[in-house]
Amino acid sequence: MPAKSNYVANATPLFSILSPAQCEEIFLAAEEVLERTGVTVHDEEARDILKKAGCWLDGIRVRIPSAVVNQALNSVPKRVTLCNSRTGSRDVLLEGNNAYFGTGSDTPFTIDPYTGRRRRSTKQSVGWACKVIDALPNLDFVMSLGIVQDVPLLISDRHQFEAQVLNTSKPIVTTAHDIYGFADIIEMCEIIAGGEEELRRNPFMTLYAEPISPLQHAWEAASKLVLAARKGLPVVYTPCVMAGGTVPATMAGVLTNGLAESLSGLVINQATREGSPFIMGGVFTIMDMSSTIFSYGSPEFNLLMSALADMAHYLKLPMFGTAGCSDACVVDEQAGIEAALSIAMTALSGPNLNHDVGYIEYGSTSSLEYLTINNDVIGMARRLVRGIKVNDETLALDLIDKVGPGGHFLAEDHTMKYFKTETYYPELINRQRYDAWKENGSKTLFQRANEKVKDIIENYQPEPLPQDVQKRIRAIVERAEQKVH
Amino acid sequence: MSNYFEDLAHSVIAGQQDRVKQLTQQALDAGTDPVEIINQGLISGMNVVGARFKVGQMFVPEVLMSARAMNGGMELVKPLLVGQELPSAGKVVLGTVKGDLHDIGKNLVGMMLESAGFTVVNLGVDAGPQKFLQAIKEHKPGVIGMSALLTTTMLSMKDTIEVLKEEGLRNKVKVIVGGAPISQDFADEIGADGFAPDAASATDLCKKLLA
Ligand code: B1M
Repeated sequence: MPAKSNYVANATPLFSILSPAQCEEIFLAAEEVLERTGVTVHDEEARDILKKAGCWLDGIRVRIPSAVVNQALNSVPKRVTLCNSRTGSRDVLLEGNNAYFGTGSDTPFTIDPYTGRRRRSTKQSVGWACKVIDALPNLDFVMSLGIVQDVPLLISDRHQFEAQVLNTSKPIVTTAHDIYGFADIIEMCEIIAGGEEELRRNPFMTLYAEPISPLQHAWEAASKLVLAARKGLPVVYTPCVMAGGTVPATMAGVLTNGLAESLSGLVINQATREGSPFIMGGVFTIMDMSSTIFSYGSPEFNLLMSALADMAHYLKLPMFGTAGCSDACVVDEQAGIEAALSIAMTALSGPNLNHDVGYIEYGSTSSLEYLTINNDVIGMARRLVRGIKVNDETLALDLIDKVGPGGHFLAEDHTMKYFKTETYYPELINRQRYDAWKENGSKTLFQRANEKVKDIIENYQPEPLPQDVQKRIRAIVERAEQKVH
Repeated sequence: MSNYFEDLAHSVIAGQQDRVKQLTQQALDAGTDPVEIINQGLISGMNVVGARFKVGQMFVPEVLMSARAMNGGMELVKPLLVGQELPSAGKVVLGTVKGDLHDIGKNLVGMMLESAGFTVVNLGVDAGPQKFLQAIKEHKPGVIGMSALLTTTMLSMKDTIEVLKEEGLRNKVKVIVGGAPISQDFADEIGADGFAPDAASATDLCKKLLA
């Protein structure tokens, strides 16, 4: 063995949008926004907390000194772990560049896998979605993929959580209408985990809230940040900003404004209780100035996502990203193109908890076929990220010499040992030769996905919750229902 | 004069506020009828803008620049309209319904309506039935527009319509609705007069309802 010095290897591909100096510039700009312009906070309790932490109040307008932001960045954990709700297994480690994928939440519409028609989402459609997510190996966590609309709407969040937790054991990122909805959902989770502390130690859910751009924290959002901190449970805080609409049209302006919103949310959370788990979000995109949609598939959406991931790594904050979604109104070529780009870029830049896989129609509709196709895309992207290992064994010089010119590698031990680990085999993507494909019914990718979805709905059994636990969850749903009557 | 009006309309379309002001002032100095300036220059320019936006030839910020340019001209003409009403396509009271904080879509609808010559009263977010009721009594609009982006808050649209019925005002005002979870079916179900999927069609809808 020779001594090999000054050798640099890329264990994975290297990919970044912003340099550390650019990250610093944007971070300092966001701190300046918070000191100079500040934010509005529409919750009295949160304002009191901020005042005690050293912020400057002027009515509901709160300006935040940079030192207070820095303190929050120091106290927030650099990692958050999410667990399997049945086994407690610590599966999802939100730290560094780990990229996990999951679905998005409350779409008003969904494509029915049996009729192909766009319809309002229901408790059943959410249950189906969770079953499918549970069965797909490349999906790591769950958001509902629909808002339940066939129950009393004011407490539909409780039904929605029940539909989710009965049908999947993967971690759940959950929305709720308000803190009362969250309180009930947390109670359900504590029953499942076996107690308050057990849930805190092995959380299988995270709360979800959003500021309102530009620079506003509504009562709903601020109170959720406070509640999460008091409970010691993780919270995702995710600004949904539109370049040219609610934030500047320039990409750097988008990042600065969005980051200022996230950091002020972080301050509310950490000032309530230092050390609370917090996951910085951000769906940063453009408003299409012709149709006025909030775009889920534009190149700027991908660029901003990757840039925000660079920011999150620079600040050492766990991050909630977005990928596998589309502006297309049906699952067509456009949907495929947009998912492939966003999933690949996300996997390469490494935000941690990446949601909205399965959204079409700019976040208004969900499709289980799209989700299932994207399960393959995620697998492909993960293969890209594994990069190329270069060493004596993988260079295979002895083998190349042994086989020599004109031979083949098919029956070699070395091939047997590596062909499966070096290659990714997608499930639904076609690599059949023409005649075999024709013999199998000449099916499109969408048709194959539809068959798989129906097969999962009809035959897959998620790990059930114990009967008594199911009953106690039902009781909470019913209690909420009684209150609205 | 026809060339002059063309020039004015073009400046509105190009969003050149200074040029619009300059041309308007020139016309006024030359003794042109203010109503002519509005109808043949300012509004006729804005009509082209509206049509181009609808077919994707102009973008939102361009439309808003044009509207700003038009308003620059309007400000100069207004004081001279002694005794005459400023021509308006109609009055619309707009709001995002109770419990809902999504407002950028509703604001866009408002801006587009204004660009098309409507007078808009914007009630902001979290507007419940009583707020709409008061606004109707105070402003006497031809149309009220409710925006909701949440399935939980869209129910409030129905409440508002019911309150209007109780107060005997339902026949005095047209009701339109819009937002992500809203559909034509839903609009029919709650007894609204119309639904619009985007800001451009909301403008067309209001024109149709008030024609
Ligand atoms: C009167 O006549 C008319 C006629 C036409 C009308 C009209 C009225 N109103 C609108 N139109 C039409 O013309 C407009 C212009 O062309 C159009 O308006 P739009 O508003 O559609 O278009 C805008 C220009 C651009 N589009 C948007 O601004 C909406 C985009 C999405 C992504 C969205 C955003 C940006 C936001 N959100 Co919200 N948000 C989503 C949206 C996804 C989607 N597919 O719509 C939706 C609507 N959100 C949702 C949710 C769940 C939520 N959001 C919330 C918050 C927010 C933000 C604050 C972050 C932000 C809004 C910021 C703001 N100032 O408005 C929360 C609710 C807060 C509250 N109480 O209101 C929260 C509950 C999330 C949470 N748990 O915290 C989902 C709806 C679920 C449901 N219950 O139905 C949602 C579909 C996303 C999803 N897939 O989960 C047309 O609809």
